[in-house]
Amino acid sequence: MKKISLNVNGKDHILEVEEDMRLIDLLREKLGLTGVKEGCSEGECGACTVIMDGEVVNSCLVMAFQAEGSSILTIEGLGDEENIHPIQQAFIDVGAVQCGYCTPGMILAAKALLDKNPNPTEEEIREAISGNLCRCTGYNKIVQAIDRAKEVLR
Amino acid sequence: MKKIGRGIGLSFYGTGYGNGFPDVSKARVRLLEGGKVGIYVGGTEVGQGAKTVLTQIGAETLKMPVEDIVFVHEDTVHMPDAGTAAASRQTYNTGNAIRVACENFRNKLKELAREHLALNSIYGLKVENGKIYLDFFPQKSLSFEELFEKSSKGDIEAEGEFVAQTVMMEEETGQGAPYWPYTFNACGVELEVDTLTGLVEIRKAVFAQDVGRAINPHLVEGQMDGGFAMALGYVLFEDLNLKEGKINNNKFSKYLIPTAMDTLEIEKIIVEDPESTAPYGAKGIGEPTMIPVGPAILNAIYDAIGVRITELPVTPERLVKAIQEHEKEKGEVK
Repeated sequence: MKKISLNVNGKDHILEVEEDMRLIDLLREKLGLTGVKEGCSEGECGACTVIMDGEVVNSCLVMAFQAEGSSILTIEGLGDEENIHPIQQAFIDVGAVQCGYCTPGMILAAKALLDKNPNPTEEEIREAISGNLCRCTGYNKIVQAIDRAKEVLR
Repeated sequence: MKKIGRGIGLSFYGTGYGNGFPDVSKARVRLLEGGKVGIYVGGTEVGQGAKTVLTQIGAETLKMPVEDIVFVHEDTVHMPDAGTAAASRQTYNTGNAIRVACENFRNKLKELAREHLALNSIYGLKVENGKIYLDFFPQKSLSFEELFEKSSKGDIEAEGEFVAQTVMMEEETGQGAPYWPYTFNACGVELEVDTLTGLVEIRKAVFAQDVGRAINPHLVEGQMDGGFAMALGYVLFEDLNLKEGKINNNKFSKYLIPTAMDTLEIEKIIVEDPESTAPYGAKGIGEPTMIPVGPAILNAIYDAIGVRITELPVTPERLVKAIQEHEKEKGEVK
């Protein structure tokens, strides 16, 4: 066991973690943040995307102890029904959600992009979400939603 | 060398289980507290938008806002069976069951209103915006909320059932009417083939889909985009790599599906030609949106380089090999 301290969605935590625990398990099982989805478990699908110190990471490929001292944002920390984030609202308005499994990861990938580049081109949006697989939407409405969110956020 | 080609694909596709197989959807409608209406149906939402479209069909039939419909599904304790979310059948089959159930419910409300309002008959009664009223004397009116309060709370309900009509094909002759209704579509693509690397890049795509009636155009577009992307993967990338019955490409690092970088904005044309047996004319389009894309892409490859591909997926290796064989055959003919 190892003791680590980290900040998740604005809240500080000190947690005991097993050495072989992944960040996704810490978030889902220790903190109950089930908006972090497990898909392929090998870093290909992006369903488990979270933002770690401003960078998107696949939380299935990060060990929990590697998160020591870091600041993590999951979909739960971005917004909720009462206090919805403009990217989430844009996904709803455009109809960018179908089964919803990729949606938390997609929205966080979009957030990380727009934080760094507030005015991305369509090509840059597509590239930013290319690590997040979606089987339902064909991506077009997701791209439109991010494009719309960028206008609202600017 | 890079070569450009264009191709189209057309398809028609039957809704439902078909071939005379019993295809049944059932729905239940109940008056709830506050004058809301509950629709209970075992039709699964898997992201295709069934929950939205079926709620809209209920709201349309009862002429009330969708916000006042409580749609409950996927809990077999509380609802009748509406069959599988498969065969592109929920909008048509379950939509019809909900329409029938709502019509039965409407008649029940009229009958109860007649009693409570001490009227002679149900003629002239209208059901709209959460109330039942006499069309030519609207002062005679009863709201859903009042009716709920007068009832023994929760006992005002009606059911509806829809059984699709298909005819089994005769084994000997192959004659019959195995499906009804059908949806029709057309897809056109323009692509570029790199004859050196075998890479195919879609430059432009147009997709026209007959939906009978688009109950929710946003969702129809989502299905068209999704169907196109899934077909794109099926035609160009996705390979299980079966060896002696074993799937070798058993993970996403080996089994490649399209990313946002592989898809493109497609021109979508929704064709509305209401189907007389369908709920408000609407037909299901979940599966059909995938079908014409393959032929369109293969025809465009043929148009670009004159090579007919007969095995999917058209991976770069396969395409380069096919081009080389084609060149060799041409050489032999000369």
